Amino acid sequence: MSIAQVQKVQVVAHSGVKMEILSALQEEGLVQVEKTDFEELGLNSSSVDVYQLEHNLYRLSHALDYLSRWEETGFAKKLFTSKTRMEREKRKEALGFDYLSVLNEVEKIEAKKNELLSELRFLKKEMEFLDPFKSLELPLGLLKPTETTQVLIGSLLVSRKEGLQKMSEEEGLWYEVVSRDKRKYYLLLVYHKKCGERVEQMLRELHFSPFYFTEPVQIAEPLLSKTEEQDRVKDVMRKIDEEMQIKREKLEDLDNEEKKLGEHREHLMRVHDVLLNEKERIFCSSLLGETERAAYLEGWVCSSDVKKLKSKLQPYSEVTELYFRDPLPEEDPPVVLENPKPGKPFELITKLYGLPQRGSFDPTLPLAPFFFLFVGLCVSEAGYGLLVALLSFLFIKFAKPRGGLLQFLKLLALLGISTVILGTLVGGWFGFPVRPLMILDPLQDPLSFLYLALALGFIQVWFGTLLSMVNGLKNKRYLQAIFVQGGWLLLLPSLVLYLAKKGSIWGILTLAGAAGIIFFASPSRNPFARFFGGLYSLYDISRYLADVLSYSRLLALGLATTVIAMVVNNLCQTALGIPWIGWLLAALIFVGGHLFNLGISFLGGFVHSMRLQFVEFFSKFFKAGGSPFKPFELKSKFVEFI
Amino acid sequence: MALGFTLAVFGGALAVVLGGIGSAIGVGLAGQASSGVMSEDPGKFGSLLLLVALPGTQGIYGFLSAFLVMLKLGLVGEVLKSVSVYQGWQILIACFPVAFAGLVSGIHQGKVCASGVYMVAKQPKDLMKPVIMAALVETYAVLGLLITILLLNGIQL
Repeated sequence: MSIAQVQKVQVVAHSGVKMEILSALQEEGLVQVEKTDFEELGLNSSSVDVYQLEHNLYRLSHALDYLSRWEETGFAKKLFTSKTRMEREKRKEALGFDYLSVLNEVEKIEAKKNELLSELRFLKKEMEFLDPFKSLELPLGLLKPTETTQVLIGSLLVSRKEGLQKMSEEEGLWYEVVSRDKRKYYLLLVYHKKCGERVEQMLRELHFSPFYFTEPVQIAEPLLSKTEEQDRVKDVMRKIDEEMQIKREKLEDLDNEEKKLGEHREHLMRVHDVLLNEKERIFCSSLLGETERAAYLEGWVCSSDVKKLKSKLQPYSEVTELYFRDPLPEEDPPVVLENPKPGKPFELITKLYGLPQRGSFDPTLPLAPFFFLFVGLCVSEAGYGLLVALLSFLFIKFAKPRGGLLQFLKLLALLGISTVILGTLVGGWFGFPVRPLMILDPLQDPLSFLYLALALGFIQVWFGTLLSMVNGLKNKRYLQAIFVQGGWLLLLPSLVLYLAKKGSIWGILTLAGAAGIIFFASPSRNPFARFFGGLYSLYDISRYLADVLSYSRLLALGLATTVIAMVVNNLCQTALGIPWIGWLLAALIFVGGHLFNLGISFLGGFVHSMRLQFVEFFSKFFKAGGSPFKPFELKSKFVEFI
Repeated sequence: MALGFTLAVFGGALAVVLGGIGSAIGVGLAGQASSGVMSEDPGKFGSLLLLVALPGTQGIYGFLSAFLVMLKLGLVGEVLKSVSVYQGWQILIACFPVAFAGLVSGIHQGKVCASGVYMVAKQPKDLMKPVIMAALVETYAVLGLLITILLLNGIQL
C-alpha cells in the first residue's frame, strides 16, 4: 500500500568537489549513503582521520556536562522549552567562537577545583583524627622525643586496656588517657628508649595504633610549617579550620568563574553540533570509492526526492555524473513509509513492530481506524479524552516538538478525540454518565458491550485475512489466496450466521469454504497427505476463535475505567460529609483519583490496543523485517538545525 | 442470610487481597530491577516507571471487582440486600477468576517487567517492546476480570 519507491543513486564526481557534494547531501538529508563495494569495483578507499575532531567533541561534551549545573532547571521549564534553534547557514559562524580557550578555561577550573576538594577532604580527615586529642593541653614541641624518652600518642581498643595497664606496671611506660569514646581510648604514652624495642613490640601485639604529629609528617605540609613549638592540639585544629575556610572561599570563587563560563554553554552547544556534523561528513567520505581523480558514491533515495536531489547537485553538474536505477532483486533497499497526514501518527505503531519486508505492504492505514476505535473503547471516559487531547494540543502549540515526539503527541491527540466520542457514547464524563447521549451502558448491559467488542474483533480478524489474500494475489500465489484465505473469508461469517440463524444456506457456504481449505491448504502432492494436511489446517478455526475472544478485553478495560471513576466520585461524596474540610478533601480526591485513573486507563488502553494489532491482526498478513531509511543528514545533540 | 452475606464479602475481600498480593510482588520485582538500573543511569526514571507500574493492574482489577461486589450487596448505597447462602457462595466463586488469575499473573508479569527493565537498560529505544511482552501476561488477568464481571452481573439477588 504505502511504501515509498526507493531508487539507487550513483554519483561519480571529480575528487575536488567530493566534500562539497557530501556537504550538500548532508544539508538535504535525502540520501542514505551506502558503503562502496571497493573490491568488486576495484576502487580505493580513502583513509580518514577524525581523531582530533573526536577528541574536541569529547572535550566539548565533557565541558557541557560539567557546566550543566548552571542550567536553569525546573519542571515546567524543562517541559516547555525545546532545544535551541540554529539556522543552518550560521554553522560557519558558530565556529568563529573561540571555544578552545573556553574549554581550556573550564578544564583548568575543573582541575583546580578537584585539587581543592581533595585537599579539603584531607584536612577534614586530619581534623577528625585530631579531635580526640583536643583536650591535650601540651604544646606540640613537648611531644617530641628527648634523649632518653619516646613520646607517642595513639588509640587503643577499649578491650585492650588491661594489657596496657599491665605493661605500665611491668615496663618503664607511663600513659595518660586523653579521651575515650565507645570503641577506643586515646592515649598519651611516654616510655624510656632503653626498653623501646620491647615496648614497641608489645604495643604492636595490643594493636595500638600510633599517630605521628611531627615525624613522619602526617599533617598537611603547609600546615606544619605554620605550627609552632608552643601550639597545642587545639591551636593546630584552629589553624586547619582557618585553612579550610580559605580553601572553601577559593572554591566559591572558582564556582563564580565557572558560572560565568556557564554563559558560554549555548555557544559550546552550537560548536559541538557543528563539529559533530563535520565528523559525520568526514566519516561518510570513507564510504566513498576513489580513483586518482574521481570519487564514487552510492546510496538510496526516495523516488519522489530524485528531482530535488538533481537540482541540489546542479551547481556541480560540470564535474559530476548522476545515475539512478531501481533496486535489483538481490538488493535490500531501506523502507520508507508514506501515508496521508491523518495516518502518519499511526506509523509509530508499525515502526514499533518493525518495518515491512520488501514486497510486503505498509499496515499503518489498515490498523489506524481499529487502533483509534479500540483505545477509545478501552478508556471510554470522555473527560479523560478531552484532557489528553487538550494537553497534547497545548504541548504541540507551545513546545513545538519535532520528529518522533511530534508524531506521538499527534497520536495522543487523536486518541483523546476518539476517547471523547466513545466515552460519551458508552462511558461518561468523569464518572457521570450522560444518559441521553449514550447508546449502551456497559454497567447495565455488559453482554451487549461484549458482543460489540467481539464483533469488532471479528471484523478486524476477517479484514486481516482479506489483506493476506490480497497479499497472496499480489505475489502470484493464486490457489492459496483464493481457496485457502478465500475459504476462511467465506467460512468465518457463514459459520457465525449458521450458528446464529441456522439457515441451511449458511451451512452450505461454510462447507464450501471448508472444502477450499481442505483441498488447497497443504502443498503436498500426495493426495492423502494433502487431504489430511488440509483437514488439519481446518483446526486453525480454534486460533480464529481465540483471536476473536481476545477482543473481549475491550469490555474489561472499558468497564474498569468506568467503575474506578465511579469509585472516585463515591469517595468524594463520602468525603463531602466530613465537616469543615470535607469540600477540600473531596476536591483532592476528585483531582488525584481521576488523574490516577486517567494514567492507568490510557496506559492500559494503549498497550492492549497495540497488542491486538500486533498479535491478533498482524499475525494474519504482515511480516516485518525491512531496514529503516537512515539518510545522511545533519545530526544534532544539543541544538536543532532549522 | 448472614452466612450468605459473609461469604459474598469474603469473595470481595479475596479479590482485593490476592490481586493485591500478585501486584505487590510483581511491582516489587520490577521496582528492584529498575532501582539497580537507575543506580547506573538515573535519567531512565521515566521510562522505567512505566514498566514498574505495569504489574500494578491486577491489584486494581481486584479492587474493582470488590467494589462491584459491594455495589451488589448494597454496601455502597443505603439499603443492604439480603443474600441467601447459595447466592453468597455464588458471589464468592465469581470472585475466584480475578483473584487467582490476578495473583499468579501479577507475579509473572513482574518477572517479565523486571527483565524488560534490564533490556531497556541496554536498548533504551525499545521501551515499548517489553511493555507489550508484559501485556501478553496481563491478558489473563483481564480475562479473569472479565469473567468475574460477567458472573457478578449474572447473579440475581
